[in-house]
Amino acid sequence: MTVIETPAAAQVAKEATGGAGEPPVSDRLRHERRLGWRLSAPAFVVMILVTAYPLGYALVLSLFKYRLTDPGARKFVGLQNYLTVLTDPIWWSSFVTTAVITLASVAVELVLGFGFAWVMFRILRGRSLVRTAILVPYGIITVVSAFIWRYAFQLDSGFVNQWFGLGDMNWFGDRWSSLFVITLSEIWKTTPFISLLLLAGLVQVPEELLEAARVDGATAWQRLWKVVLPNMKAAIMVAVLFRTLDAWRIFDNPFIMTAGANDTETLSILAYRQNVTLVNLGAGSSVSVLLFLTVVLIAFVFIKGFKTDLSQVRGDR
Amino acid sequence: MDGRRTSHWWTFWGVLILAWAAFPLLWMVSLAFKSPATFRSSSGFWPKEWTWENFQTVFRDELFTSALRNSFGISIIATLLSVIIAMFAAYAIARLDFRGKKLLLSMALAIAMFPQAALVGPLFNMWRGLGIYDTWIGLIIPYLTFALPLSIWTMSAFFRQIPWEMEQAAQVDGATAWQAFRKVIVPLAAPGVFTTAILTFFFCWNEFLLAASLTSTNRARTVPAALSFFTGASQFESPVTAVMAASVVVTIPVVVLVLLFQRRIVAGLTSGAVKG
Amino acid sequence: MERSGGRRRPRRSVVAAAALALLAPLVLLGCGGGSGGLPTLTWYINPDNGGQATLAQQCSDQSGGAYRLRTEVLPNDATAQREQLIRRLAAGDSSVDLMSLDPVFVAEFANAGYLEPITDPQAAQQLTDGVLPAPLQTAYWKDQLVAAPFWANTQLLWYRKAVARAAGVDPTTNELTWDQMIDIAEAQQKLIGATGNRYEGYVVWINALISGAGGQILEDTEAGDEARPTVASPAGDRAADIIGRLARSPAAAPDLSTATEEEVRSTFQSDRGAFMVNWPYVYQAARTAVESGALTQDAFDDIGWARYPRTDPGTPSAPPLGGIDLGIGAFSKHKAEALDAVKCITSVQHNAQYMVEAGNPAARAAAYDDPAVRDAFPMADLIRQSLADAAPRPITPYYGDVSSSIQRVWHPPSSVRAPQTPEETDSYMSDVLSGKRLL
Repeated sequence: MTVIETPAAAQVAKEATGGAGEPPVSDRLRHERRLGWRLSAPAFVVMILVTAYPLGYALVLSLFKYRLTDPGARKFVGLQNYLTVLTDPIWWSSFVTTAVITLASVAVELVLGFGFAWVMFRILRGRSLVRTAILVPYGIITVVSAFIWRYAFQLDSGFVNQWFGLGDMNWFGDRWSSLFVITLSEIWKTTPFISLLLLAGLVQVPEELLEAARVDGATAWQRLWKVVLPNMKAAIMVAVLFRTLDAWRIFDNPFIMTAGANDTETLSILAYRQNVTLVNLGAGSSVSVLLFLTVVLIAFVFIKGFKTDLSQVRGDR
Repeated sequence: MDGRRTSHWWTFWGVLILAWAAFPLLWMVSLAFKSPATFRSSSGFWPKEWTWENFQTVFRDELFTSALRNSFGISIIATLLSVIIAMFAAYAIARLDFRGKKLLLSMALAIAMFPQAALVGPLFNMWRGLGIYDTWIGLIIPYLTFALPLSIWTMSAFFRQIPWEMEQAAQVDGATAWQAFRKVIVPLAAPGVFTTAILTFFFCWNEFLLAASLTSTNRARTVPAALSFFTGASQFESPVTAVMAASVVVTIPVVVLVLLFQRRIVAGLTSGAVKG
Repeated sequence: MERSGGRRRPRRSVVAAAALALLAPLVLLGCGGGSGGLPTLTWYINPDNGGQATLAQQCSDQSGGAYRLRTEVLPNDATAQREQLIRRLAAGDSSVDLMSLDPVFVAEFANAGYLEPITDPQAAQQLTDGVLPAPLQTAYWKDQLVAAPFWANTQLLWYRKAVARAAGVDPTTNELTWDQMIDIAEAQQKLIGATGNRYEGYVVWINALISGAGGQILEDTEAGDEARPTVASPAGDRAADIIGRLARSPAAAPDLSTATEEEVRSTFQSDRGAFMVNWPYVYQAARTAVESGALTQDAFDDIGWARYPRTDPGTPSAPPLGGIDLGIGAFSKHKAEALDAVKCITSVQHNAQYMVEAGNPAARAAAYDDPAVRDAFPMADLIRQSLADAAPRPITPYYGDVSSSIQRVWHPPSSVRAPQTPEETDSYMSDVLSGKRLL
């Protein structure tokens, strides 16, 4: 989902534009500004139309008791829906489930993804083969991945129990084993993405620094912690931020595997169920708004708390 | 000597990654070739007898064939539109100095993080009001929105690496900014645009949540939604093997694109940072 | 991009024109359909093996050019079917002319004004004539006929004859209880299959157990969201006892908490299968399994059937009720033709034909006397009797909430205990109905 812009590329761009500080003819500047607005106007419109407006609409709906199939009973209830949602164990259970999946998958993916990036960086024979292979999980439909893993762990037709001698273990009959399989599918599908981002960071680590450290007698472990990782910090933080927010929205995998049974419902499934299945648009909209706020909160923590440098992602010069 | 041994080690790890990526796919293929009548009782990894029956089933099923058509149509149109709109924006970002730039980039970032599930309720309500519920356009519009950030970033990163002095040279020769953009930059930017298109296509091809919420018939239902609603021969039968056969079919385009454009996709995802 | 409208400077209109040019065909595409001439009715059907499509064809032909029926398939599971239909109907979609509706959702649809009531007495008489009592009950909302029973489903007890013989019981006396079944399976180290996944099928089971002890899930159902849950009762406790006991017993199928109909059948057909409760389609499915070699002829011959097991030793069981009612969309532009189509589809003759072809039991009693039906279903009389005595799930416009709250509290089955589970169900369900809790 994201793009890391390398300092080197930014540098090139800066040089190429040549003396941005040099005052151009004011007529041309005005023209340039107008052109900039015009060129980006369609993007603005499309992005606002489908997010800001519906979100505002959800904000309004969330103040009503309103069920689509019982329109006569619609009435204004103020913040009652928010109170209901926030005091309901279902919201908090979904919150915990989502948090567990997010933490587990991001942590594993970070380690695994780094390993993959390292292999892709160093491997000589078959480099393009490995990169091709790793792109298949990235490109595959998440629903398909969910089905593959679900059927693999299925009690009567899967191979996992047979291979590992687990007998009648019912993976989807318990919260934690279900979450394990869901997280596994999520990890399989999204590790390639994180590993490519990390690879992009890895190639930025100056080879001279590594060489110098080697000459100084640093062990591989020391080189990793003292040279490689500090130089990749920006890439790692950006990768973690994006994967965290992506995992926080997880819907496809649990929806296909358990449909939320055994407390495996995530916040996205909760929002979907309230709005789409139960057509309970009042309470459903308050869930939507709260879900949005959690995302804002996470992004805020990353950006302010961990000082994630987003100018690299946003492409600010 | 030492170098060669290390190189063998890397190859070994590379093979492990290959296995990791390919193994679930093998399971998918295996299930797709198992007989729907016996796959439950024969729980080995590979089928005892290979059968094409499941593929015949899914291609006879209008649910699947129309979903394929919808998926291709919607994904391609959304990709095209998104790339076109993003191309203008990315050019403005990479090249021009204007006040809205920061706002645009921040907004793209915000939308990339946006929880789509928060939109399904209001979007459904708006779409049924507008009469575009369960239509192609009803899916294309939100896909466009959520694909745009990706398109804008990827492309503006590519655009930054374009030697702009050529454009300036053209402008010195008397071309307007627009002409310089069209005649000089477009050809140079084409590879970046193409890569962006592939990534955007993957996004649209993959999308499930909106497809499941904003469609209800064969008219606009895409493959991921169709897979989740796949039905067996009777109301109670679960079409496991047919779902896998359909999965194989829809994974083929992904594999083909990846095989053909591996280098470009990697470059796109890492935005040209990977050299070599 | 090749459109070079603005030679001198870029214009917004260029962008707009390009976008419009690309979008225009889509808008047209989206709004297409609706050919002139003879009215085409869209019939939203639940998935079957093509039986409804055949009926659509036959009735179109029989109409003599008055209408043509086109089918559109809904998802597999009842909840998802409702979801799809509600979304269309809430959008006021006139393309929903006919719909195959799970009986439990008829009340909700009727209450929301999505179903066209059948007010003509003659038509009502024709649609209800000879329909078995339990299915008929589901077609009414507030004493008005709002749908037509098309086919009706019920579950039977399926057992392995060898197991019953070894235990010295005869299930065909229709007196076997759940407790006896569990005892037998435990003693012989065999398995019992029932649908314990968190879905509608689990509520089917729970409702049958509660009804079998003379109880019910809900009272004052016509009061909508003010109906009174009555699960916390002796009957509810009995149901909770049975489910909890089975789930915690070695006789429960290992996948009980995720089992839907097919997993149940798979368990029953395996070597360890002893009993299952399931719909009659399993008989045809087992026969197919023999043909494909998945099941031996001996195992097939070992399958016996009887009336749904009892909750209480002294009370006859209340078999579950399923099936499909046909509803006419309130926004349809062809209501008269749709009514004619309903009459044609639900005729006795078509009921029998559908039962044989699709394996789904008829709603009209007379269909069971059809020789072809008796040939395909050796247990035809048992099905008819079960349907006559069947207990519908609560008929309420808030059925979705009622069902989901039960599923939530009673899942997983191994957590079910009396009296806690029934008590929790009642308080949770009333909170949900009054909007104090989420689902």
